[in-house]
Amino acid sequence: MLKRLFLYPFAMLLLLLATMVAGQGTKPEDPAGDPFGDELNFDDDLFGDAFDSPETTKEPSWLDGFTVRLSQQLFWQVNNHSVEPIPGLRIPKQADLENNRLGLNFRYQNAFAPGWLLQSTGQARWYWKDDYEYADNNDNIDTEYRINELYLQRSFGQQSLKFGRQTVVWGETVGNSVLDVINHTEFRDFTIIDIEDARLNQWMLVWDVFSTDSQWSSFINLYPEFNPVALSGSPFYANTGYNIGDYKRGSESLFEVGTQWRKSFESSDISFMAAYLYENQLSYDYPSEGYGDALAKNNDFALLGFSANRAIGKLLLNLDLAISLGVLPNQSSFPGMTAQGSSLEIKKDQIGASLGFEYAISSDQSISLGIQANKLIDEREGLVSGQVPVNEGVFGSWLVRYRNALSNGNLVVSSTLQGDLEADSLFVALGVDYSVNDHWAVAGQIISTTANQQTPMVLFDADVRVGVTVTYSF
Amino acid sequence: MTLFKVLRFVCITALAVNLAAEELTGEAIMQTMDDTRRSTNDSSFTRLKLSSCTFGVNKGRIACAERPRVKVLESVSINHGKDNKDTKSLSITLEPPAERGIGMLTYGYDEAGRNNQTWLYLSALGRVKRIAGGDSDEETEPASIFGSEFTTEDTDTGKLAEYSFKRLEDTTQSGRKVWKVESLPNVERAKKSRYSRTVHYIDQERYVVLRSEMYDKYGKEIKRVMASRVELVNDNWLARSVTMMNLVSNRLSNMAFVEIYTDLDINDAFLTQRTLTDNAYRETGLEALRAQTQ
Repeated sequence: MLKRLFLYPFAMLLLLLATMVAGQGTKPEDPAGDPFGDELNFDDDLFGDAFDSPETTKEPSWLDGFTVRLSQQLFWQVNNHSVEPIPGLRIPKQADLENNRLGLNFRYQNAFAPGWLLQSTGQARWYWKDDYEYADNNDNIDTEYRINELYLQRSFGQQSLKFGRQTVVWGETVGNSVLDVINHTEFRDFTIIDIEDARLNQWMLVWDVFSTDSQWSSFINLYPEFNPVALSGSPFYANTGYNIGDYKRGSESLFEVGTQWRKSFESSDISFMAAYLYENQLSYDYPSEGYGDALAKNNDFALLGFSANRAIGKLLLNLDLAISLGVLPNQSSFPGMTAQGSSLEIKKDQIGASLGFEYAISSDQSISLGIQANKLIDEREGLVSGQVPVNEGVFGSWLVRYRNALSNGNLVVSSTLQGDLEADSLFVALGVDYSVNDHWAVAGQIISTTANQQTPMVLFDADVRVGVTVTYSF
Repeated sequence: MTLFKVLRFVCITALAVNLAAEELTGEAIMQTMDDTRRSTNDSSFTRLKLSSCTFGVNKGRIACAERPRVKVLESVSINHGKDNKDTKSLSITLEPPAERGIGMLTYGYDEAGRNNQTWLYLSALGRVKRIAGGDSDEETEPASIFGSEFTTEDTDTGKLAEYSFKRLEDTTQSGRKVWKVESLPNVERAKKSRYSRTVHYIDQERYVVLRSEMYDKYGKEIKRVMASRVELVNDNWLARSVTMMNLVSNRLSNMAFVEIYTDLDINDAFLTQRTLTDNAYRETGLEALRAQTQ
């Protein structure tokens, strides 16, 4: 294992060097003396080809709509330690490579006729040796394909109709909104930590009506989907002794529907929304025999919401408010984590708020803070003696992001801190993204998690992960 | 940052005046530039190519030391508001592939103290997002334009009262007769500027800036602009290729106006948030603009 830990960084270093070499052109001689004197000759044709570039001369092709990204990712959990999820039970965790995978992402957009557009995004993954999905596939290379987005759009007059797999995002607070619950999500492992990357698309019909400064947007989803279960072998997978599977659809017909009205004022935008939804996270009943398949259960609820932002100079304030009628009180406040096997099946009403700000420190630096807080109404009503709600009082999470773009944006340093309001867990991520040239990019990440026994995150206490990703786009 | 500012910069090179050359003062030249920029920029559709690289000098000639990074953008802009001094502009990134489809809508206001409004659309975000950047002219430090060596300060030609101008001498540049005009910021502007002094070389016949030199507070030249491909576009002389050299970082950026059309029929509704999210609507609108340019 130790040998592999050294071999992979070496391989990634070679990849990085290869990309840097690919970005080099002919090196001119070094300037000597005063290279910028008055008589310096400037070559008028240095960028002359800009005026006969291919995009202005070649015939349009349907292939022009493709954008493709290839990425190779390696991620290690590097800290040898143990966790103690309950007093007296200590589980050792060895440093190990968790992710060794090649990804292909594509995006296709084609406005094939006036007012018509076809758009699709998708991905393929190849899981190499030592990736947890390789191990889960009986030590064979595993592959996975998925269409994320696939919709047809027709725009006419003041209206637009979109049908197909797509995303609907509500709320203003970045990454931490109580209203961003339309699409389901998949936090498969710690390489996906932003909700922007975790959203999964659903089959929907979206109808937009536009006017000068406002917009009505409505959707109907005739095939609601739920957060997929954690994959066996992944960091989020917990062996409970019984099978936790996807939702088994019977003869019942499920649908979701919602509408939002948004209006823009000078320095501010506001939205009102209402929806009938299913909670993205399923709840599970233990199998009655004590083994076998757990029973996945859905829960429908109604959502009423309001969001607003306000720009004051370089400061942007965000506010989201949500009233959820009829939710199950068994959700973890940490994204991707769910308290399973809760016997609390009494529907409750919940109020939630997300409050945040974004501040442009300078033209290159920005910082944002988002706090999400939720409170169940009459949380103890209906409980029998001895029962305790999973989330009592005010619960939620906070998120801080910092970004600094250096070298005209070619080098981006970022950090993310996330925790819950009860201070039971803390998640710290530091990232560096470097664009080698217009096609090649390299990203590095260090992620640390800290948690106590009050949260399921305790399974990741003292984990330290280091990752690197090399990307080629064309 | 908007492409409107970029167009304003190009209008530095557009001095369509018919005054007798001997009567021109530095102030007169700069005032004419400010007046003509709006007419040149109004109802415009532009395809812009920004190329940036580290450079060196090879046998007395400037050359890129690496393969240039290239950004290609399309921009639509209109003027509106009181005296037609406010702007609405939309820019869409076409290249590089990793940034394709990023859209930015900006409403710019001429009124001092009134914040510009900017909305950004990233497919990863899945929604339109308001950006708080303040009024770039008043509150923020000069920012790079789309990652290039051009900054918001370089493209800003308004607020002439914040500068004093002096016509220095007659000389030649790139084989053409030019005036050298010195621009000095006043005390307030100097606090926000990276330049203590700028010298422009202005073509006496075509009224185009062929070269500019920017100096820091120590009197050291830190940036130089070279312009070429001067062509007549809609009765205005324009330098369609402008190169900014950063003499400190040895990095340069070339701004090539691959296509520029003005006085087009642009619907005000096209410069709204709908155009950021409704791709079918946007592409239909852009096709209509392209048809007007044929």
